[in-house]
Amino acid sequence: MRDPENATVEVERPADFDDFWAAGLADCASYPLDPVLTEMPALSTDKVIVYDLRYTSFGGLRIAGWYTVPRDLPAPYPALVTIPGYISEPTIPKEWSELGYAALAVAPRGKLRSNSVFNPGYPGLLTHNIVDHNTYGYRGFYLDVVRAVDVLLDRPEVDNARIGLQGSSQGGGLGISTAALRPDAIACVAAGAPYLCGIMTAPTLTRSYPYEEINEYLRVHPKDVDRVRETVAYYDGLNFAPNVQAPTLLYLGLEDDVCPPETGFALHRVLTCETTLHTFPHCAHHAGLPGVMRIVEDFLAEHLKPGR
Amino acid sequence: MDFNSYWAAVDAELAAIPGRPVLDLVPSRMTDEATSYTVRLTSTGPYRVFGHLSIPTGDGPFPALLHTPRYGSVNHIPHPNDRSRYVVFGLMHRGQRLADEGFSAAYPGLLTMDIDHPASYIYRGIAADCLRAAEFLMGLTEVDPARVAVAGNDLAVLTAARRPGFSAVRVSELLFYRALEARLRSCLYPLEELNDHLRAGSSVETLERTLSYFDPVRHAPAVSGRTLLAVDNPDWAAQLVEALPAASVYRLTHLDGTDNDFLDAWLAEQSGVPPMSRFVVG
Repeated sequence: MRDPENATVEVERPADFDDFWAAGLADCASYPLDPVLTEMPALSTDKVIVYDLRYTSFGGLRIAGWYTVPRDLPAPYPALVTIPGYISEPTIPKEWSELGYAALAVAPRGKLRSNSVFNPGYPGLLTHNIVDHNTYGYRGFYLDVVRAVDVLLDRPEVDNARIGLQGSSQGGGLGISTAALRPDAIACVAAGAPYLCGIMTAPTLTRSYPYEEINEYLRVHPKDVDRVRETVAYYDGLNFAPNVQAPTLLYLGLEDDVCPPETGFALHRVLTCETTLHTFPHCAHHAGLPGVMRIVEDFLAEHLKPGR
Repeated sequence: MDFNSYWAAVDAELAAIPGRPVLDLVPSRMTDEATSYTVRLTSTGPYRVFGHLSIPTGDGPFPALLHTPRYGSVNHIPHPNDRSRYVVFGLMHRGQRLADEGFSAAYPGLLTMDIDHPASYIYRGIAADCLRAAEFLMGLTEVDPARVAVAGNDLAVLTAARRPGFSAVRVSELLFYRALEARLRSCLYPLEELNDHLRAGSSVETLERTLSYFDPVRHAPAVSGRTLLAVDNPDWAAQLVEALPAASVYRLTHLDGTDNDFLDAWLAEQSGVPPMSRFVVG
């Protein structure tokens, strides 16, 4: 029988881990952010104004997002970056702006609205150049989310002291990496069923996608296993976790076949920030949805104080 | 155009266009349990759509399972558990990833693409894609024609209604059912697309007319297989349940490990294969 809470999930932290990501951030900073917002009246409502957003990220790629703000509440607003899952396209985050947030739903490279240059498709992102941490497909993808935070920091209507991150699955995993890479800017993180934690352990615990992509890759490239391990160590949430400073909400399904709960518990163990953990028996990758969203909303409201 | 004529025209278009499937082995998905292929085949338009096909190892015929596409840019590859038990075919409809040569669907946007014009509404073509997928799957010699199931949203109901031979239909995440009422409940997508479209100048009557062709309640009487509806609120789904000749309802608990196992076990029982949980216990 599995014992997720006490299972051993270990990832070696590369000696140059921090330098590697500092170089990525420096590359981003070498390009003007150049955010362009275009109001979308047909998508806006009497409560929320919707903008199409474009900005520049790692490697000079233009990245898309949806940006929404409350129509009638006074600025400044607390703000959220909502981070998409592996198979989902970001939806327009009107529901968050109805609650009083400026919300940015980012479409990192490879998502439909940001795939004119980089398009690994589906399946594919998880194993794209997975033998080389410098060119691994997730490198720019991770940094695109960090740059979304920079967009919010650049917005005059956003209170820079009240920026949070929200997502589940891939969105949860990248919430952790983004908070680690922008510890000065992030006030809180709500991360459900976090993906990309214990990346080499997870495929041994499940046959579900996306981790099954790694099993498939190694089935035809068995000699690459060490290079794959070396690469994903740079991207593993367990290695980002010690750098997270913001209060963090984690929620896990104890029967999650997509992101095994062992990896979520391992993340919880290595986070040194203020952490709140909710676990849901008999739940799989939904990790308590839809009911858990009330917990998420309360957590974000506690730290970001919308409506003030 | 009345309901029957609308769909008869789709059938006629499909009948005039050979599917011409091309199967390619997927070495990375080859296991002791199953052999996997990518499939490209022609639907109305003509348009080449895509699917993931897997055939269990051993002496067939095997029960079969068609996954109709979800609302979104991608669909999951059939799970190894399903690949080990069923001839399983997961379709990517026109515009989804891997079926996007010439047309890439927008999200948001797909649900309302040409919705003011029933004859060119995008879901007319998407429904045709599902029907073509059903024809392809049922034509495989490895398939036991007495045990063919379809799983998905309203498209599964539509497919089972318009292609005889499905012995089991598993339905979840309804999209078109009472959509014009459901759109009023929140600003969440995809149904918010209907609200966006109305704000852009369309009318409820126009949407109602087009969506009526896709209303699962209207298709339901033609479904012959046993049907399971997985829903949040059985009262909300009552119209559909009553319209289906052999339906039962599973009220989702939102303990999705439990829900997943129940839905898997129901289909396994209908298909004569063992149930399997995706959460590996030991």
